[in-house]
Amino acid sequence: MARYLAGRLAQTLLSMLVVISIVFFLTRLSGNPIHLLLDVNASERDQEILTRHLGLDRPLPVQYLIYVRNICLGDFGTSILTRRPVTEHIWERLPATAELGFVAMALSVLIGVPFGMYSAVRRGTAFDSGARIFAVLGQSMPAFWLGLMLILLFGVILGIFPAGGRGGIEHIILPAFTLGYFTSAAILRLTRSAMLEVLGSDYIKFARLKGLHEQVVLWKHGLKNALLPVVTFAVMLFVQFLGGAVVTETVFAWPGLGRLILESITTRDYPIVQAGVLVLSALYLTGNLCVDLLYSYLNPRIRRAGA
Amino acid sequence: MFAEKWQVLDGGKTWRFHLRKGVKFHNGTELTAEDVRYTFALVAKEGSASSLAPEFRAIESIEVENPHTLTVRFDKPAVAFGNKVTEGLVASVAFIHSKKHLESAGEQGAERNPVATGPYKFVEHVRGDRIVYEAVDNHWRATPHWKRLVFLKVPEPATRLAMLRAGSVDVIEVSGEYADELKKVGMRMLLMPNVSWVYIILGGQWPSKPTYDPKVPWAQPDAEKARKVRLALNLAVDKQAIMQRVLGGLGTVVGSWLSYPTDPWASDALKKPYPYDPAQAKKLLAEAGYPNGFELTMNLTAWPGRGYLPDVGEAVATYWEKVGIKVKRRPLDRAVFSADFRARAYSGVTLAYAAPLVGPEPWEIMIRGGYTKAALNLFMEHPKLDEFIDRLATQPNYQERVRIMRDEMGPWLHEYIPGVAIGAAHAIAGVGPKVGDWPLIPGHMGFHNWEHVTRK
Repeated sequence: MARYLAGRLAQTLLSMLVVISIVFFLTRLSGNPIHLLLDVNASERDQEILTRHLGLDRPLPVQYLIYVRNICLGDFGTSILTRRPVTEHIWERLPATAELGFVAMALSVLIGVPFGMYSAVRRGTAFDSGARIFAVLGQSMPAFWLGLMLILLFGVILGIFPAGGRGGIEHIILPAFTLGYFTSAAILRLTRSAMLEVLGSDYIKFARLKGLHEQVVLWKHGLKNALLPVVTFAVMLFVQFLGGAVVTETVFAWPGLGRLILESITTRDYPIVQAGVLVLSALYLTGNLCVDLLYSYLNPRIRRAGA
Repeated sequence: MFAEKWQVLDGGKTWRFHLRKGVKFHNGTELTAEDVRYTFALVAKEGSASSLAPEFRAIESIEVENPHTLTVRFDKPAVAFGNKVTEGLVASVAFIHSKKHLESAGEQGAERNPVATGPYKFVEHVRGDRIVYEAVDNHWRATPHWKRLVFLKVPEPATRLAMLRAGSVDVIEVSGEYADELKKVGMRMLLMPNVSWVYIILGGQWPSKPTYDPKVPWAQPDAEKARKVRLALNLAVDKQAIMQRVLGGLGTVVGSWLSYPTDPWASDALKKPYPYDPAQAKKLLAEAGYPNGFELTMNLTAWPGRGYLPDVGEAVATYWEKVGIKVKRRPLDRAVFSADFRARAYSGVTLAYAAPLVGPEPWEIMIRGGYTKAALNLFMEHPKLDEFIDRLATQPNYQERVRIMRDEMGPWLHEYIPGVAIGAAHAIAGVGPKVGDWPLIPGHMGFHNWEHVTRK
């Protein structure tokens, strides 16, 4: 197990180095921030001074080595635009994104798992058809459109929820549902198919033959075994939420990390883009590592194959 | 206005400002001539990102005569310096900083906790979300009717509109495409008329520069043929339709160059747009040696606050294609084009652009974009234009400058045709039911005069 863990950790660190390198060089290819920071009337001298001040006059490999060294020392640099430490920017936005991600994930699981389970149990009934329609709609509706429709209905016409912005609990319902609907639909489908497979298995038949109460069969023996792929999927989706919620954040004016990265891309604020992507990759790779470890714990065959 | 009065001396070489007494920064210190001197020096310092840096670097000396009198001297006349320090007329005015605050708090501290002198004071800035201001009681200019001013960052215009309808916000900034929607949902529209001048830049009209390409049809050495091409490119475009369809009917089609319909130097003859006449455009192209048209590139680039420009470029490209011109559309990021713009590396390239009000007099804009001797983002050059700018830049009499612009430079530009004139676009805001009167300064680009906005 220790060897497996060490191997996976090494892979994770290597992946992060690759991500750092790709992001560093891609952001440099996308254009010079000096042209956005300075007025078009700025003189050559002003451009030179700012370029030197930002360290952009050094050869690219030197900039890269300095960047990697600084990251290892925990220094993500300073924003080109605001001249404030990048970590401040990230920490300002991460709570909003995490908050949205947690609530959206909770909604997805609370909707997806029970509906998926009962859809499998009541296969072929009106409930099953309804749940499947809900899932198809959730996976086919663009978040952008859904968000605007929800704002129109609940924010403007009914006036139940705020139309945008971050504030109290009432502000998070619509963006969390918009973000979580797609995932809840996916979880519903996954739970349904996993449950159908489990319910057809011999040990479930045996449990029923033993005379166990149907709820015990479903919840204890059925769902517990069907949930493994669902949990894996949910963990990875949650990590994706953190970075991939940019559409929802934009529609609902939610000041999250996705929007920060997007805004920084348009202003060529390299240090923020690099740090933002790095944080998201770290979360993603850590999530992936946790899932792998969980799998290897639950399934000794994986552990042995990796050793 | 901080300056209660001012004098222009030595033919525009000396400006003396007499400052209002008793104006306080929000940290309680009084604004003095020393703060003004400090701010002007900040704008002019090396590495400054201010768009006004070139003008402020022309200052030879600043003398603080007493806490409320300041004399600014130039080695050459700076006849329009007053425009650079006047809020409401230029896009990037030199707002006065508190020397004491900047020196004690440092640049970062002052950025986090800015101190100013206006009728609203800074409360907090939640990055990516909001900036909050609070009204200053008994401010010398006006005591605001609204106690708190909260600027929310809402990137999606449809969400802004929904928030306005839901009553979550009282004012929203939207572009012309939402004008009908505002009317439909019964929201009031606040019009800021003629705030940006929309035109198509025809790149390459700089014969003295190394990037000049004599093969570019509108910039070729044969001046008469080049002019025919530029006129044809104007006649081929239905400006009125673009104003209606692309800019939501919110603007005025004009033919006068870099001036607005309300300017005193925009005479009726100059305001008259170049007509829409595709048949004549084709004829002119044939006369210029292009009976089958030619190929050009149209950059589709959006600029901050002017997101409609790629659509204007697309519409113009479509009209040009109707007279036989082959248009290669090139969606291009602003950062990438800015580099080309500075290096004048866009010969043969066209681009929809909207002039922000960097100078209220057209020659002040041309000095940046059309003055062979000093322009930094030159898009055209001509000895005659240099001559006009030289005369205007040293003419201290405003009425005489108006006359030169109206009777000499304006007609010359109208005849020369530097690009494709579309017109002056309005800016709009959606206003909620709680907002009352909102007096605006004509020609000001953004939201302003918040302290004068009344409540219903």
